[in-house]
Formats: sequence, structure tokens, C-alpha cells
Amino acid sequence: MTRFYNLNRIAALLLGLSLVASAASAGPREQARRIHDRLAGVPPTPAVLDQMAALLPGNPEAAADIAMNNSAFYSVTLKNFASPWTNRDRNVFVPLNDYTATVIGMIRDDVPFNQLLSADILYTGAGNLGLPPYSMTSNDHYAQMEAQNMDLQAALVQTTQSALTDLPTSATAGVVTTRAAAEAFFIAGTNRAMFRFTMLNHLCNDMEQVQNNSYPPDRIRQDVSRSPGGDSRVFLNNCVGCHSGMDPMAQAYAYYNFDMDAGRIVYDNSAPHPKNFNNDANFEFGFVTPNDEWVNYWRTGQNAILGWDPGRPGTGSGAKSMGEELANSEAFAQCQVTKVFRNVCLRDPVDAADRAQIDSMVAGFRGNYLMKPVFASSAAHCMGD
Amino acid sequence: MTTTMKSLSVHTKAIVLAALSAAILAGCGGGSGADVVVNNPGNSGGGTVPNYTGPAPATQDVQNFKIHLWDNIIAEAGCNNCHIQGQQSPTFARDDDINMAYADSNPIVDLLSPQNSRLVSKVGGGHNCWLASDQACADIMQTWIEGWAGGNAAAGGRDIILEPPTSMQPGTSRNFPDDPATFQQTIYPLLATYCQDCHSSGSSVQQSPFIGEPPDDGGSVAVAYDAVKTKINLDDTDLSRLVVRLGEEFHNCWSDCGNDSADMLAAIDAFANPIVPDQVDPALVFSDALTIFDGTVASGGNRHETDQIALYEFKAGSGTTAFDTSGVTPALDLTLSGDVTWVGGWGIQITDGKAQGSTADSAKLHELITATGEYSIEAWVAPANVVQENARIVSYSAGPFSRNFTLGQTMYDYDFYNRSENTDGNGEPRLSTPSAEEVLQATLQHVVATYDPVNGRRIYVNGELRASGDEANGGSIADWDNTFAFVLGNEVSSDGLFQGVLRMVAIHNRALNEAQVLQNLEVGVGEKFFLLFGVSHLIDVPQAYVVIEVSQFDSYSYLFNKPFFISLADNITVGNVPLTGMRIGINGSEATVGQAWANLDTALTDTAYNPASGQPLSTVGTVIGLQKGPDSDEFFLTFDQLGNNSFVRTIDPPVVVAATDGVPTADIGVRTFDEIAATMAVVTGIDPQDANVLATYQGVRESLPAVDSLNAFLSSHQVVIASLAITYCDALVEDTGRRATYFPGLNFAASPAVALSGAGRDIVIDSLVANAVGNGLGTQPDYTTLANELGYAVDDGNRPNNLIDRLINGGNADTPGIVKGVCAAVVGSAATLVQ
Repeated sequence: MTRFYNLNRIAALLLGLSLVASAASAGPREQARRIHDRLAGVPPTPAVLDQMAALLPGNPEAAADIAMNNSAFYSVTLKNFASPWTNRDRNVFVPLNDYTATVIGMIRDDVPFNQLLSADILYTGAGNLGLPPYSMTSNDHYAQMEAQNMDLQAALVQTTQSALTDLPTSATAGVVTTRAAAEAFFIAGTNRAMFRFTMLNHLCNDMEQVQNNSYPPDRIRQDVSRSPGGDSRVFLNNCVGCHSGMDPMAQAYAYYNFDMDAGRIVYDNSAPHPKNFNNDANFEFGFVTPNDEWVNYWRTGQNAILGWDPGRPGTGSGAKSMGEELANSEAFAQCQVTKVFRNVCLRDPVDAADRAQIDSMVAGFRGNYLMKPVFASSAAHCMGD
Repeated sequence: MTTTMKSLSVHTKAIVLAALSAAILAGCGGGSGADVVVNNPGNSGGGTVPNYTGPAPATQDVQNFKIHLWDNIIAEAGCNNCHIQGQQSPTFARDDDINMAYADSNPIVDLLSPQNSRLVSKVGGGHNCWLASDQACADIMQTWIEGWAGGNAAAGGRDIILEPPTSMQPGTSRNFPDDPATFQQTIYPLLATYCQDCHSSGSSVQQSPFIGEPPDDGGSVAVAYDAVKTKINLDDTDLSRLVVRLGEEFHNCWSDCGNDSADMLAAIDAFANPIVPDQVDPALVFSDALTIFDGTVASGGNRHETDQIALYEFKAGSGTTAFDTSGVTPALDLTLSGDVTWVGGWGIQITDGKAQGSTADSAKLHELITATGEYSIEAWVAPANVVQENARIVSYSAGPFSRNFTLGQTMYDYDFYNRSENTDGNGEPRLSTPSAEEVLQATLQHVVATYDPVNGRRIYVNGELRASGDEANGGSIADWDNTFAFVLGNEVSSDGLFQGVLRMVAIHNRALNEAQVLQNLEVGVGEKFFLLFGVSHLIDVPQAYVVIEVSQFDSYSYLFNKPFFISLADNITVGNVPLTGMRIGINGSEATVGQAWANLDTALTDTAYNPASGQPLSTVGTVIGLQKGPDSDEFFLTFDQLGNNSFVRTIDPPVVVAATDGVPTADIGVRTFDEIAATMAVVTGIDPQDANVLATYQGVRESLPAVDSLNAFLSSHQVVIASLAITYCDALVEDTGRRATYFPGLNFAASPAVALSGAGRDIVIDSLVANAVGNGLGTQPDYTTLANELGYAVDDGNRPNNLIDRLINGGNADTPGIVKGVCAAVVGSAATLVQ
């Protein structure tokens, strides 16, 4: 076996060396290095560095495009960008799954990202890779892809959920109806988790931020106690603030469930899943879910600030149209751009220049909903002076 | 006052009001109802039957009068001290002729609405009440009359009489001024000082509502003002949420909660007192107004009370006694002790105390239950939480290890202990609702625990059988101990506290069957009223009302439920009347929270209207915050449109919070786990799927940095990075082909002193810098400095030797090993880690 020298001594030296890094002003080479580091997560080869530097400072987006052509942009950066969205703990250490793969594929192929929550789309490993086939009941297909450290830039191919699952096209809703999302957010409970985490991950607003108790409570389900512990102030001051808007939106998921025994998403539009009637005696005069018709109460009042698309009706049936409602909001665009900014710049926007950059990117993003230009613009903004 | 009355038959209701819900007319205060059958106390063995020697009752109704009312008013109430023949009229308590007593009783008894009987109101008003509580006397008198009425009822049919209230305009109330200037001078300074850290959009926790939005610009105070409105009660400032939150809930007080609450109250008073009370906005389309007690009592329910031997409805509302109003003697009254408070709308809240009866009175339970060998515990209960364990809700016991029965709580489970020949003296093994089903919820629930010798124990929750299959089976309960005490909310020894609200408790000496459980569930709990909101001035329909069933939901709110439209006039034509946007007004303004009918969009039509039951408007109910209390709160309805009257509601645009600069942060960070591994693979040229590398990485992956923040970087991260770097460098150096390419010309076979002197040393350093650090990059470590650290610096008394010399001088004779060490020092350094 190989011999190693005292680890502590080596580690001490490493710490010392960590102080060596300097913060010199950034020329084209330094800018190129940072753009590559931030986008691909790995340093460029000398040749790539030269190629990128030659484009700087005049055309940083073109330099960023070169960096994004590194497979690590997909296999490392985008995978870990999306992984926390796929589970309740927002844990980045989760296996590659159909949710993350679909995000990666959509960005790679420049699929408009406002289809993220509504499209009949799915990315799998190519058929010639020797992987176990995609399964509604298992994540093995993706786990194997990750275990073999496959180049996701090359390995992923686009398909549809309706082709590989028993979901009809009308029941598909982008990443919302992927197996990973269902396992995380349609499992047990009341399906409100899917709405809450979609809001959190893709509109960057948790329920605390949209809490507003002035909205009508007529769609709040029966399971929400109007007097928790015998104190209705709790409901009137807290519960109603989220549930009044959340419940009529989450109704879009009335027909979905994750079958824990079978390990798969289940869609049955013959009637709302029984989970919609859990604890229905908590307030028997509450709303009884009859179908999957959703309505967005937040289009008026304070939560209109989320910037809903005026060209849409604000109501519909099922997860697909509700996903379109969410993904065409200003908040969705703002959220995606801000997440990319944070991922590339390693910090939040803090000043007027940052905010102007965000505004500019949001405007551009809402024009074509392409994510790679957002990554490129963010990298350019943060490449250093 | 009453000019028109409309009767709704319960029989008819069950059919024609089905769309409204049977609960509309079935809901009533416990114990009221025509077909209620209560025990004859004398026959139950609880009291002494008067010795009557006069003529026999002429009819069955007279017989019912005797056994349910006359026997009791003689034996218990003592009415015969005055109201007998030759003395005080009316002589309803005369003992010479039961038929004459019956005749004298009829004028002072209302068998259709026992609660409206003169006998009830008289004792309820304090007329020779034989108990400490006038309310308890009234309740018991009502129970006796209900027993009489119930004895006559064939199938529980009775009428509800909708009585039109006096037409009344909504009163005045204080409302919030548009300009936040006064708020900014009075309340806002406290909010900005003490609430801003959490309740502001700039806070790291962003806790809504943003009542402490910082005053950086003019708009921010407006944000705080808008957010705080629902937290302030302008008419009863001490009920303001801001005050209660500090004073009663001790929420983040900044000094002493009492003083802080007082300071907040003073600030709110300074804000509210100058506000001139407003009239109801005349632009609104609004109904007549009324208080809850202007409504028609929603009686007509039919609890199954045939075998009820103890009943607690907690109507007293004050004092330290919870009266047993079952009418079965002896009354098992309970003494409240510790932190037990009365709940609005009837009930008690147990925070740290109990309600316990005497052992002598409690023996009633022993006597009456052992006589039948079966019983039921019935309760409307709202557990305060779902974490308490071994909590005694209703218990007949002697301490933690000895009991006759107990209904208790263990987290999400109801527990039922019963002492029988098949259990121990503590009633164990217990029967519990299934934990996985989380049957117990921290909300008002109807719970019935039944026991009979055949089926053993059963637990019904909200009408559903949730626990059965008693492993102890049934069996005799003859071993019950009659020296135990009946207690609510705790063990008699005060070591089984249950925190929560009890709104009704009843004990029956029979096991209720499922139908009876459902029957009592349907009746509900608390006092309910039909509020008739007059709208005839808005539409061309005479005596037109929107009727809503209203009750006090708990101490802090009202339940508004199942609205319907009806006219008390006969032969009317509704036409086609649009009705949209119905809201509840309270004390002069629309309630800010709970407007469940704001989206109502319907029309009153002849087709939908049923003269007998009206036209239902909604199937959902809602709760509205209590403001001044049920005696004072005045309600009205508003409409966006009703008939030809409409109100154009303006919706304020959302308040936009101006962005503020954040704290500048580092624009560099560290690579995260996968990035570190991928970077090491790139700079060493080693495949991350290499067996050793992969094994090491899988072992340390989640110990590597998960976030890119420099502030989150730990020394433990560096140790793991070093481990991974050494693994990569080991793979590189141990591969003769790769190392020859990576370190061209380096003689790994030579001794360190030879291999790493002169050119060899340059090869090692230059190769590592070129591959892992990069040349000509101002943002990377300086080449000279790095080279000196690795191979050229000399110990001058102020610093140690360079790394290579230290490794050689340490006696290492292994050139590849030293190269690995130098490689790891570079690959695992900030040169690759920082991005």
C-alpha cells in the first residue's frame, strides 16, 4: 500500500498555503479564470483559459459560453444547483434523479424555463448507455448514471413523461410530476407540500413571505382547525394568512398521490384523493375539495406584488395550468435569476449595481426564458474588475 | 316586537333544509329539544320520589309531567314551599291533585321551547334558586321540562320559529385613519425599536407581518402601518393583539412583559383615543344590524340523554363551581382549582389545575353505573397540544395507579382506562386510538368512550368508531371503588395534567350506540342563534332576511355558518336578485379577517327559493374575531351587489418596499464538495472513478464544504480536503505512466536528495504550479512565494525550511512519497479550493 507522510503536518502546510492566495486586480486572464471557476466549478485548461481571455473584457458572455461547454457545468454545477429543490430538507447530497436531470436537460437544450412546472417533458439517460430503464417505481436509472460519473451534458436525452409513465399528457406538469418531486412532496400529508416547496424553490417565497390574512378563507379545507387548541386567534392571526391563498392553489394537486408501497406517483382524476379529506372533522364547515380546480386569490391585494401574468385567467384545472400560472409570474423570473446570481457570484445582490443587473437579467429572461444567458450574464457581472 | 313568525318544521327541515345542512336546525344548546328524554331522578335512584296520594294522572301527558317535572320541583327545587293549594298562585306544585297541578303548570311551561318557559326564566332570574348559580337552576329546570316534553315526543319533531328582530342601523366605531402620521408618532417607535429585528423585510428571518419595517424611507412606515392594523383593536385597545402578545403570551418582551404590554397599550391608546368614531361608510350596501342575542335561539336538537347521569355545560361563566345540570341527584358539582378559566361560549380552559367533585357526590357514578354495568363518557374537548402524555381528561379515580375509569390523552391518542375483572386496578391494559392515524387533534372534537360487558371499551371521535377490539374484553365492573373522586383535566392527585378546553362533559350509565353518538354529535355544543339580517330596504321583497347561524366559537371568535335567504312573508316573489360579495360587518366596519363569502356570486331566484326553507347561499362557514364580546358586538352584512344596489370596491395596489443596500460580502468563496473533487481530477488528470479515489470520495463527500461561503469553512473541511488531495496525488504518483507525463524528467527511482535537487525540484514545483495553480494569474498565489514555500525558502530563524527540505531532512528515503506530499500540499490548498 502506498505510504503517506504525517497527515497533520501536511494539513498544517496546506492551511499555510491557503493564505498565499492574493487578490490582485483582474485582467482578462483572471476574469476568464473566475468565469470558468464559477460556471464549471473547475479551473480551465491553459488552452481554454487563453481562448476565453481573448474574448475579454469585450465579450464576457461569449467567454461564459465556452465555460458552459465544460461538462462539469452540467454534471457538477447544475446538478447541485437543482438537487436541493428535490427534497424537503433541501439537501444537496441527494442522488441524481428525474427532477434534477430534467432541469439540467432543459437548460442544456435551451428549453424555455417557464415550462419547468407545466411541460410534458423528461430527461433520461440515452438508450445506448447500458443503464437500467427509466422506472416509475425506482430511481435506479439516475442513480446508476451518477454512480458511473456519466457526462450529463452528453448522456441526457429529452423525452416526455407521458411516453415513459402512465400519466396522460394533461396530467404532466414539468418537474412537479416527476417521480422525485412526487416522492418528496406528494407523499402522505395533504399535497400542500408540493405547493409550498414549489413556491419556495421557484418563486423564492416561503409561506411566511406571502402570509396575508386579508384574503377570503372560503377555500380553506376542513382539516385546518379554526381554533387550534381552543384558541381561534391562532387561526385568525396566523393560519388563515397562508391557507387562504395556498389551499385554493394546492387544489390543483387534488388528483395526485405518491404511493409509498409501490414507490410511484399515482394520478386518478375520477375523484380527489382521500388525503384531501384528512381530518375533515377539524372544521366540518370548511371547504370540501370537489375537483382540481384551482384559483389564484393572490392576483389581487398585497400578493399581486408577485407579478402575475395579466394574460392568464388566474384559475384553471390541474397542476399543468397552475404550473403555468406560477412560472409566468414576475416572481418566478426574479427567483430564477436571483438563484443563478447567487450561484455564480457566491453572494446575494447587495447594491444598486447588483439590483440593476438583476432587473436587466429578469427582463431578458422574461423575453426568452433561457437560463444559460442568465448564467453568462451573472458570470460577466461578477467576473471582477 | 314580533310581527311575523315563520315556522320551520324539523321534519320538513330534514328534507328541505338538507342543502343547508341538517346542522342548521339540529344544532342547539345541549339539553334542549323536544324529544329529549331524561332520567326521572327518582326512578334512577338519585333522589327521593315525593309521596303522592292524590288522584291518578288522567293522561299519559299528566304522568309525564309528574315523573319529569312535578317530582323534581317538589323533591329538589322546593317549589311546594309556596306554590301549593291555598298558598301562592300558580299552584303548579300542589300535591292534592296532580291533574290540577298539571293544569296550573301548562301556562308557565313551553314544551316546544323549554328554554323559553316561564319556570326557567323565573329561577334563572334568581327566584328562589335552590343552587348557588341561577344559571344552573335554569338549566336544571329546563332539563326537567325537556324530560316532560321528550316523554310526549313521538319522533323528535318540533318547530323553529324565526322571529324578525327590530330593524336597527349599524352603529359607529373607530376606524384607522389613512395617514400613518399619528401611528408613526405613537406606536411605531416601539415597533421599530423592539420588533424590527424579526418583523421587517430586511431581517434575515423576514418574519411576517412587517410591523417593524425600518424608517429608511417614507414608504416603509406605510408598510408597517398596513401590517399592524389587524393587530390593533381601536375600540377595545387592551384586546389588541400587540398588547396581548406581550402581556399574556410573553412574546419577545424587551424588559418586563407586564410593563412592556402596558407601554404598548399606552401607545395604542395615544393613537386610538383621538380617533373620532366613524359611521358605517354610507357608500356600502349594508343590511340591518343586530347583536347575537337579537337572534332566534337555534334550538330543536335532540341529544340522546335518556341515560345521562351527569352533565357539565359550563354555562356559569364565573365562579369556582362547574354545575352538574343533569338533574340526577345528587348533583355532582365540580370545584375548579388552580389555573382553570371560563371560556366564552361555554366551557372551561385548563392550564394548570382541575375540576373535581367530592367523593360523596362522585359515588353517584359508582352507584348508577355498577347498577347497569355499562357507561359512556362523552366530551367536547379541544386539547391544547398533541405532545402531552398521561393527561387525564375525564377521570374517576384515586391517583396515578388506581381508578374506575379515565379518558386521557397521550400525544395524538385518546386513551381509555376501565377497571373490570379483566384489568388491573388501574384499568390497564388501556384502549387507545391508533397512533398512526393521529386521531386526536388540537381542535374541538366530540369524544365518546363507551363500555359494556359484551363489547368492552370503544372510543368514538367525531362520530366515528376509532378504537375497539378491547383486549381486556368486557366483564364485570363490580369491583369499582365508590370512594374515588370524579375529576376533569387532571388526576385527583394533580399529577396527570391535561391542558385544553372542555366545552361539555356528560356521563351516561349506558353504552351509547353509534346512532346515539352521531345524534349527540349532530346537536353540537354551545348556544347557537339564527341572526336575521334585514335586507328588505335593498330589494323588492317584503320581510326579506339573510339568515346566518351564529355562535360564539371560543373566547376569541364567532362562528358564522350556513347563510340562507328567506322572507318571512307568505306568497312572495323573489324574481331574480343578484347577490355578490357578502361580507360580515362588526361594530361599524367590515371584519378584516375571515370574509369567507367575499367571493360569493349568486342570485336569489324563484327557482332556488323555497318558501319553507329559503335559499341557501353557501355551504362553508367562517370564524370572525370577537371584539367587544357577545353582549356588545353588533353585526351587519355588506354586499358588493344586492339587487340594484352595488358598491364598487377599490383594491389598493400592493405596497412596494423600496430595496435597500445589503451588507457588502466577499465576492469569493470556496468550491463545494463535487467541485472540489472535479477540480482535483482536472488538476491531477486522475479519473474520479479510480477505485481508491472513488472510495475515499464516497467516504468524505458529505464532510466536504456544502456551501461556498468562506465563513462556513471549517478546519475539519481542510482535513478532509487534505485526505482527498493525498488520495488523488497517490493515484497520480503511483501510476508510473501518468507521473512520467505529469513530472517529465523526474527520476522517481533516485534517492530524494538526488531526485529532488536542482532540476528535479524545479520539475516538481513547476509541474504542480502549471497544472494546479496556473501561471500568469494575478488572482492566484504568487509563483515565487509558492515556490519558496515548496522548495526554496531556508530556515533563517524566523521561518522554517521549505516543505521539500523538511520532508527530506526528516529522514524520508522515499522520493515518490515526498512528491505525493508536495503534490497534496498544492492540490489541497487555497489555490484550488478558492474560487
